[in-house]
Amino acid sequence: MSDTGVVLTDIRKSFGNLEVIHGIDLTITEGSFVVFVGPSGCGKSTLLRMIAGLEEVTDGEIEIKGRNVTDLDPSDRGIAMVFQSYALYPHMSVRENMAFGLKMARLPEPEIDSRVKAASAILKIDPLLDRRPGQLSGGQRQRVAIGRAIVRKPDVFLFDEPLSNLDAELRVSMRIEIARLHRELGNTMIYVTHDQTEAMTLADMIVVLRDGRVEQTGSPREIYENPANTFVAGFIGSPRMNLLNAEWTGDGSIRIGNSRIAVQIDDNRMAPGGKLTLGVRPEHMNVVVDTEGTLRAKVDFYEYLGGTQFLYCQLEDGQAVTAEYRSSVPVEAGDILHFRWQADDLRFFDAAGLRLKGAC
Amino acid sequence: MTGTGSKALLPRRKRRRRSGWRGFLYIAPAMALVILFFVMPVIFTGWMSLHNWPLMGGTRWIGFNNYVRMFHDARFMSALRFTAYYTVIVTIAIFAVAFPLAIFVEKQRRFVSAYRTIIFLPVVIGLATASLLWVWLANVDSGFIGPALKALGWVDKSPNLLATFDSAFLTIIIMVVWKIAGFTMIILLTGLQAIPADLTEAARIDGAGRWQRFRHVTLPLMRKTIALALIISVTGSILAFDQFYIMTSGGPQNRMISVVYYIFNQSFVSFNLGYGAALSIALLAILVAISIVQLWLLRVGEERP
Repeated sequence: MSDTGVVLTDIRKSFGNLEVIHGIDLTITEGSFVVFVGPSGCGKSTLLRMIAGLEEVTDGEIEIKGRNVTDLDPSDRGIAMVFQSYALYPHMSVRENMAFGLKMARLPEPEIDSRVKAASAILKIDPLLDRRPGQLSGGQRQRVAIGRAIVRKPDVFLFDEPLSNLDAELRVSMRIEIARLHRELGNTMIYVTHDQTEAMTLADMIVVLRDGRVEQTGSPREIYENPANTFVAGFIGSPRMNLLNAEWTGDGSIRIGNSRIAVQIDDNRMAPGGKLTLGVRPEHMNVVVDTEGTLRAKVDFYEYLGGTQFLYCQLEDGQAVTAEYRSSVPVEAGDILHFRWQADDLRFFDAAGLRLKGAC
Repeated sequence: MTGTGSKALLPRRKRRRRSGWRGFLYIAPAMALVILFFVMPVIFTGWMSLHNWPLMGGTRWIGFNNYVRMFHDARFMSALRFTAYYTVIVTIAIFAVAFPLAIFVEKQRRFVSAYRTIIFLPVVIGLATASLLWVWLANVDSGFIGPALKALGWVDKSPNLLATFDSAFLTIIIMVVWKIAGFTMIILLTGLQAIPADLTEAARIDGAGRWQRFRHVTLPLMRKTIALALIISVTGSILAFDQFYIMTSGGPQNRMISVVYYIFNQSFVSFNLGYGAALSIALLAILVAISIVQLWLLRVGEERP
């Protein structure tokens, strides 16, 4: 197990009688970039803070680099953390902020100096070393916060929604910066966000959480292409995947409203007349001219984004469906369109929301 | 063009002047109170201090003689010394009690608001009332402290706490701490609560222990709050009067005459109103000087040089 970065075994957390993390098992390989993603209140920050040692673990075990750190102080775990609020010491200069942890560890002065210099060179903040956090912009502060983490030379970097306080443009450039940093340093990084774009672009492995449970782990591609359930399917991807209520007829087709569409499902859990959910992403909804075996929908409104358009439509039975539309033929609200898709772009989920095996 | 321009300017200037008047109107009540009850009395006191001003009979202009007299007044000097001694001891005692209390009641724990209320409760009692209460508590026969010590078998004979300088001084210090510490605690508590939890957590990750976090993060970030609490505590102590007047009447061998007590004696016992006024002006100057030094030392308003 020594080559493994972080191992969580049956981690639980309760506040009083309320259990918020319900037994999480997770193995994070050393050097990987893992993103915890989920809606607010899903426990992703709590989980990160337990790894950091800022929150006590009610039950379970945390191992970092083969060492059980469950009951160790945050500073003894070989971690460094970057906070959403930056959490820079306002009364210290940038240099002092970065050196503080090293001073606490009683490192010799020349060593502290060289580490601060190296980190500030990586982050290009050398000219700011003598300023105070109050004199810096948001992006600069975030760099300093990352610098303070780097100088500790941790085994694991922890990021708690580090880009949430930045404006959109800065968020994109800092995201690229963090990806570059991971490439250069090669440390294990655990990153918490509710922004799925950050999750998709940064992660080697995404952990989707909901209500204190892991819904799915996997690479961004796995999560996007093979969501394990309707929650993951709906949460990852923007606009979200269309999840349509359908009925399995048992004779090689499904019924959505009045439309009958030929599909093939090899899952013996499905009985004729059974309810299921059809998942199809907006970019896989193709507008076609023929009407046989297609999905008929009326355009409610659309968003023109230049390179593409999103059509927000309504089926005859009232279900909402979103489609990405790239054709130059103009579409107006009120138009009736017919949609079809490639068979292997469809995903099926049973009544409980779990993925059904099968293809069209 | 220029003609219309200047014409257009005119009403705007008038409007600005009118809004200036309106602003003045808003602060007028407060200004009136300050002028009536602070500025004018100070000016009048200054005027009195330049006179020989007995309670009855004519006043006589004597220039700065009252101020010259002050420097050769041994009793005034000893009152200054005693006040300084008292201020230093009581301020240290208040902070030594209030700071741990503030840290104690800052954490969310069971009954924390009950603790806060109980600790704050003595603050709402008047100082004179508290002094009277403690005169009774310290009474040798019918009080509480002495008889209780005797009942516990710690002393053979109930001590007269207010009879010797040391025990009387200690009693007064304890009384004032009991009375004031809750207030200082609340001020310090607001400062503690203003420090974001993230900072403390960042310091924990940086490996700072409890004391180092206090020393390197909490204390520097509380400088403004500490400055406020310190100035309130120091000025309050320099102006101390009630407790010495009520509890010890100036203390054993008149060794507990504070500056204000001495001014009171000069003005309303000996009726040297002019000299009392001069002493008051001197005390005001001392207070202003001390506050300036404290503000400068703690550098309120900027983060650090």
